[in-house]
Amino acid sequence: MPSFLDIRVGWYLAIRQIKRASFWTTGLIVFVMVLTFLDLVVVTGVLVGIVAGVTQLYRTQETGDVYISTLDTKNYIDNSQRIISFLKTLPQVENMSARYTANAEIEANYKTAVDPNVKPNETGAEIIGVDPLQENQLSGISSFVGEGQYLAPGGLDEILLGSNLIDRYSFGGDILPGISVLHNVYPGSKVLVTIAGHTREMTVQGIMVTTANSPLASRAIMPAAQLREILGRDDYNVNEIAIDLKPGTDPEAFVSLLEKSGVSQYAKVQTATQAIPSGIAEVTATFSEIGNAISSVGLVVAAITIFIVIFVNAVTRRKFIGIMKGIGISAQAIEFSYMFQSSFYAVIGSSIGLGVLYGFLVPYFASHPIVLPISRAIIVAPVGETMVRVALLVAATLIAGFLPARMIVRKNTLDSILGRE
Amino acid sequence: MAIIEAKQLVKTYRSGEVETPVLRGIDLAVEKGQWLAIMGRSGAGKSTLMYQLSLLDSPTSGEVVIDGRNTRDLSEREKMHMRLYKFGYVFQDYALLPELTALENVVVPLLMENYAQSDAISKAQEALTKVGLGHRFHNLPSQLSGGEQQRVSIARAVAEAPEILFADEPTANLDREASLVVMEIFKELNREGQTIIMVTHEEEYGHLAQRLVHLDDGRIVPDRRTK
Repeated sequence: MPSFLDIRVGWYLAIRQIKRASFWTTGLIVFVMVLTFLDLVVVTGVLVGIVAGVTQLYRTQETGDVYISTLDTKNYIDNSQRIISFLKTLPQVENMSARYTANAEIEANYKTAVDPNVKPNETGAEIIGVDPLQENQLSGISSFVGEGQYLAPGGLDEILLGSNLIDRYSFGGDILPGISVLHNVYPGSKVLVTIAGHTREMTVQGIMVTTANSPLASRAIMPAAQLREILGRDDYNVNEIAIDLKPGTDPEAFVSLLEKSGVSQYAKVQTATQAIPSGIAEVTATFSEIGNAISSVGLVVAAITIFIVIFVNAVTRRKFIGIMKGIGISAQAIEFSYMFQSSFYAVIGSSIGLGVLYGFLVPYFASHPIVLPISRAIIVAPVGETMVRVALLVAATLIAGFLPARMIVRKNTLDSILGRE
Repeated sequence: MAIIEAKQLVKTYRSGEVETPVLRGIDLAVEKGQWLAIMGRSGAGKSTLMYQLSLLDSPTSGEVVIDGRNTRDLSEREKMHMRLYKFGYVFQDYALLPELTALENVVVPLLMENYAQSDAISKAQEALTKVGLGHRFHNLPSQLSGGEQQRVSIARAVAEAPEILFADEPTANLDREASLVVMEIFKELNREGQTIIMVTHEEEYGHLAQRLVHLDDGRIVPDRRTK
């Protein structure tokens, strides 16, 4: 049974062995540990971050923190204006945008079509009618306009198109069956928009360039007043209201407040988490498991690295281990010295890794997401889960340090001193 | 009364079917405060006898009795404790830990004896000063001459006043000048009452001991006192 004395002497030996070891060797081992730590945390973090990026897109571009939408039995949110007025009185609300939605057919290149037998260049899209100022305050939608300009307040017959509707951005457009896209459409191009049987010629004001699965990618945006006019609507009932809350406000508590205030009689009231398409949680869990599987390979590699380092160290120092045992230093103290050394590598490697992760990687990719075809990925690294991985790394290296030390320490003392096999 | 005693000590090495007897029934008793030199030609079994007496190895048969206690049935941990608390060792090649300074090499076994670090350092400094290395506390072994390394090794062995100091060819790797310094230290230690069991092949140093034992082919040839 190891005693405090064994630990104390083991620590004394370990500190001096580390202090007087080759700087480059120690540096290389610590570097391997840093890479292993990052492999453990960042691979899973990016995989989960891809899904988190999608979730973030939906939250930013569609739902806000709290999302009010039509009941399944209704086409509009009844009493929309009273609800909006009520929301404006609530101090928790930072921004909100009330939207009208409709399905539309958009046709391009109709002016150059010469053969009536050729299928017109048209595509379907969901049209969103918004107050351009309110919507921009809520979702920052103008920042997604990659070509042309955002809608001007009071602009007439202007429309923004999502990138999935345009041939040069669309993923699989005109190749995959059932998908049609618009060709040669640029800011300033004219398109025919047909909504509920009413057709209007409009000018493409801009194109929203986003990832393929962004909610904006397959949508067209126009001023709410214009959409209401095309639809011939004389009521002011909207289809959805997205709300951003002031920092620190709990969305679930706010949803409860709205439900108690009777809003849920007229509309579905949900937090962003509840409103974002189902399956996201399952995809997150799947990516997380894939990340864990990949990371565990890194953990095994790190453990083998430490095993080899400690084994080589212990074999080359076998004579000195024998001498220590010979003069009365306990086997446990010697084993502890190696365990302390291996845990030193893991702790220093993890500490540097934590610094790199939370000091640089997480904040950097939060402000500069990795742009992927399906998402703007961030790194998701909750502190609790990261600490579990640190503990795993330290535990693996402790075992990897202990085993070879024990193998050598258990050899016959005199054989070790004399270098006999 | 003998502080250490060997009774019919036999050590035979086996390699497959081949048996090589090295010690063939040694009877030997060493009294407290005695300086014993074990001499003999190469292969006579001198070092093997010392390893059995100092509990670094176990005999094939026979007994080693220390302070009246038969060591045959001691566990490895008990033997380790006996080596730590009762014995001191000086090896031919100094056997210092290369990453520890002279002071730290002496401190380690004292820490294992549960000394507070400050007390261990004081004792180690005292021991090093006694062997003339008061100015070399913080030198690594690689920064010391062979003679100085051997003196560190002696300081480590005697820092906690062991009952028996075992020395295996302590001058074999040293020049004459350094060897004489080491022997002077041994003489001084013995004058202070230190029991020493020393293996050497050098007649000149063997004759410094109070008692000389010659081994030949695993047996003691007639015991003769030099002093």
